[in-house]
Amino acid sequence: MAEMWISMGPQHPMTHGLWTLKVKVDGETVVDTEPDLGFIHRGVEKICEARDFTQITTYCDRLCYASANTWSHSYIYATEDLLEVEVPERAEYIRLVAIELQRIASHLMWLGAYGPDTGNLSIMVWCLREREMMMDLLQELGGSRLHYNFPRVGGVKRDLPHGFPQRARAKVNLFLNRIQEYEALFDESTVFLVRTQGVGYAKPEEMVNHGVTGPNLRAGGVNYDVRWAHPYGVYSELDWEPPVERSSIKGADCYDRYRVRVEEMRQSANMVLQALDKMPGGADTYHEPGDPMILAKAPSRAPEGTSGAHHFEDSRGESMFYIVGGGESRGKHPYRVSIRSPMFITIPYAAKCMIGYKVADIPAIMGSFDPCIGETDR
Amino acid sequence: MSKIVPIKVQKAEAEKLAAAVSQMAGVEAEVVERVNGTHPRPVVVGNSSPESWRALAEMLHSEHGVDHCSMVTGIHWPEGDADKKWEVIYHLMRIAVRDPPIEDGLVRPIIVDPSKVKGASTPLELEFHVHLPDTRTPSVDSVQDIWVGADWNEKETWDLVGIDFDGHQGMRRVLLPHETPKGYHPLQKQHHLRYHGFEEMYDDSQGFMRKPADADRIK
Repeated sequence: MAEMWISMGPQHPMTHGLWTLKVKVDGETVVDTEPDLGFIHRGVEKICEARDFTQITTYCDRLCYASANTWSHSYIYATEDLLEVEVPERAEYIRLVAIELQRIASHLMWLGAYGPDTGNLSIMVWCLREREMMMDLLQELGGSRLHYNFPRVGGVKRDLPHGFPQRARAKVNLFLNRIQEYEALFDESTVFLVRTQGVGYAKPEEMVNHGVTGPNLRAGGVNYDVRWAHPYGVYSELDWEPPVERSSIKGADCYDRYRVRVEEMRQSANMVLQALDKMPGGADTYHEPGDPMILAKAPSRAPEGTSGAHHFEDSRGESMFYIVGGGESRGKHPYRVSIRSPMFITIPYAAKCMIGYKVADIPAIMGSFDPCIGETDR
Repeated sequence: MSKIVPIKVQKAEAEKLAAAVSQMAGVEAEVVERVNGTHPRPVVVGNSSPESWRALAEMLHSEHGVDHCSMVTGIHWPEGDADKKWEVIYHLMRIAVRDPPIEDGLVRPIIVDPSKVKGASTPLELEFHVHLPDTRTPSVDSVQDIWVGADWNEKETWDLVGIDFDGHQGMRRVLLPHETPKGYHPLQKQHHLRYHGFEEMYDDSQGFMRKPADADRIK
């Protein structure tokens, strides 16, 4: 049969955002793929060059609509490296709670969207129910529902509100019980198993060379996590282990990528519980905004020729900011802000993974990599 | 306590790598310690001349097991020194993955206990700067074939900053529209944000005084 190119997207349920996947097909078989990005490129890197360090946090929140908190923290850590700020330990614990709650919410959003991708329509509402609990907790911290603008250079915006530790413990414990429901829903669904097992193999060494990181890489049996390899925050103080899958000899399939995310949600939930227990000064005490326990003084200008970089474990892989200070001539603005988006690097590889499979497998394979176009296009 | 990479091992490895790399002509590297939170992170930071960059990249990949290219950043310095008008920064990592062992048809997790890593399986963080002299067509050797992860990073750097990569296969616009005029790279510093240098938050919060950047030119 003659080969032909077809365009999936920019408006297609498979894409989870606005981008195009050009697929070359021979009958039902995928022969070649070519992703085309940039449909929602907003020029965040250029905009940041005319904003001061506090204002940029707001833009970084909007990089990813499913995982706003991890992105603004990723930026804040790089800025603190640039400005050489020492953050109070209590603020680091509060940040860890916020980041891990956001990671759970992000993975739940992915899991909810992955159900319809593979033909299980009811799963979406189940996952969004629990995501709602996480969103409520994050709303208590940041004040809004989706974009929290929570971290500040040198600490956090607000302390944990009254009663937050109790509510967080109750909700996280409830969530830990309900994970079993998802596992039952997915693992006992024949439709789901048929569509994910043995589909979309990704080899571990190839993934490293292609720059794939995060849960997608750990699904292939590579126990690599920025949180233990280059620890930041207080991750070294908690007892946790990154989840890693024992994939088959052919590499990680879609099912492995699903398993590793479910395990990661468990780990994150446990980390939140531990952090609430270990918080210096006790989780129940409350400090006014700006208190030195939660916010250190930070300079607002970076000297000429300084730079700050930070690798960060985002929900989708290793995100990174590289910020160059501007000096007196540029006022409070940075000279250059460069962003590494994990999905920008992963999408070309995910597209390669589809070659050789059927057209019907494309949503299952693409969805399993958890694409987010907001951060990809920046 | 959690299992994390021992800082001593990581620092010793970083110093070993920096010393080995500094032997090359045109390359100098040192270990810089960064602190985020409670844990210091040693980072190998180095400079390389554009001529020796390709050889350095090959050596890092083949001899030192640097297997992951994290990010490529291009910077335009129009007011910089004559030999530093453009800069390319490579953020590399060593994830330390070589031939994952296989048991009973299953991949065995590469690193089981991070607190026991040593030698070449210690994760490392590297940062290399390449300075380019004053030119209208800046370019540096591509490392796309060494780390495929650099592929789209290099595409993006050319697309937004205008630094070309010699030997890069399939260079094209990735973030800007495909029909963007040739030679237009928005992160070059001659392109100003329309309200740049203007405290819009304080001087003109309603935006009444805003004018397009080309308002004074005859259209």
